[in-house]
Amino acid sequence: MGVPYVPIIGLVGTDLLKRRDDMVVAADPFGGKTLSVVAKALRPDVAVFHAQKADREGNVSCGYDIEALILSEASRHVIVSAEQIVDRLTEKEATGAFIPGIHVDAVVHARFGAHPGGCTGLYGPDKVHMARYIAAAQDDAAFDEYLKTYVRDVKDHDEYVERFVPREWREPVRAVGA
Amino acid sequence: MARAGACGRRLARQGSGASPTGHESRVTELNYNESELLAVLLSREVRDGEVSACGAHSQIPAAGLLLAQELHAPKADLIILNTAFTPFRTSKAFHFLCQRGELGLFFVSGVQIDRHGNYNLHQLGTDPDRPKVRFPGGYGGGLIYYAARRTVVFRTEHTRRSLVEKVDFISAAGSTPPDVIRLGHPTKLVTPKASFRFEKDEGVLRLDTIHSPWTLADIQENTGFDLGVSGPVPATKAPSAEELTALRGVVREKMLVASPAYAAWARSTLVEPQSA
Repeated sequence: MGVPYVPIIGLVGTDLLKRRDDMVVAADPFGGKTLSVVAKALRPDVAVFHAQKADREGNVSCGYDIEALILSEASRHVIVSAEQIVDRLTEKEATGAFIPGIHVDAVVHARFGAHPGGCTGLYGPDKVHMARYIAAAQDDAAFDEYLKTYVRDVKDHDEYVERFVPREWREPVRAVGA
Repeated sequence: MARAGACGRRLARQGSGASPTGHESRVTELNYNESELLAVLLSREVRDGEVSACGAHSQIPAAGLLLAQELHAPKADLIILNTAFTPFRTSKAFHFLCQRGELGLFFVSGVQIDRHGNYNLHQLGTDPDRPKVRFPGGYGGGLIYYAARRTVVFRTEHTRRSLVEKVDFISAAGSTPPDVIRLGHPTKLVTPKASFRFEKDEGVLRLDTIHSPWTLADIQENTGFDLGVSGPVPATKAPSAEELTALRGVVREKMLVASPAYAAWARSTLVEPQSA
């Protein structure tokens, strides 16, 4: 939207409002008789997300995930990793959840870049890994161990895919995650 | 007793005086389970020609919406977020539809619900920095509760821990001062044991009807707030054969294609027509 704040209907009287300093109850500026919550705009410095396909101009096709479009409009910088990078997205691909390159700073080729999450139409979430993640997230020591195994001790994304994406997903002849 | 959402062909319910230790009591055989009962009761709240919605992962109200469309509200517009029954690709489109006042009815649930129609989807424990349990929250609901013309709150558990005098954390408030812009209010609370109506002027929930086979004493024993009743409370109209047939037939079929999670729920919860 690009405006610094917006009035919204809702949230008055909630404990959520008490916990936030970016939302306040304010009077109607046109007459001042009614009240509503006014929320400050969120303006992230950087948005990073994963998509199905991107092209050299930074145009992105991300399935049905149009929330990513809102995110890229709001953020100052946008970095997109994609399963596949092509010279130019076709007319057909530039529909649905399409993010024009004008919002995008960089695209990065990363096959299985959403793992252990899923990438709609290509593969689902890795449930075994997700269960491991949830268990690790229960305390700081376990989570540090998780980060060491899956992040710090991994040289690069290729090594990550080789070691942690299920082998059967990587077989080129099969539909993955089906 | 089977939890709503759990598998259950038929539910034998123990009425007042029942306890896990096995006191003698009456047992009533009902030809529907708790999830089916809730879906039927929610469906009766849907009005023809209105836009009615429920959130993601909301199998019971989704079944209620589809049932209403099948029986008495053929021209209702339904929004079941994150399924095939969603007209929008973004939360933004749904958000602004609600803010414009175009949503007639919303179904919502909370971990705790209190006498004043406040619900809690955030945390247990009153210290915000050290909650005993933290839940995903419910940011959307905190807006929709004020913007939808009517909201019907439902809860699959009717106990003193879920229906409380005061919620630990207010995710959405039942009432607001008159000068606050608000387009709608909660109108009802439906549980597996009873229905409550929200008295807007007083800002409180009052016991409205009791579902078979429960008694007023059962409701009093299992509710953490004053029921606000002085005389006899009528019985809830039980699900009719027509409602149950549609729910287990057409609605079940529609849920099988709504999304994999809804299909799994429909298979395990809605009694198959042949075995009914």
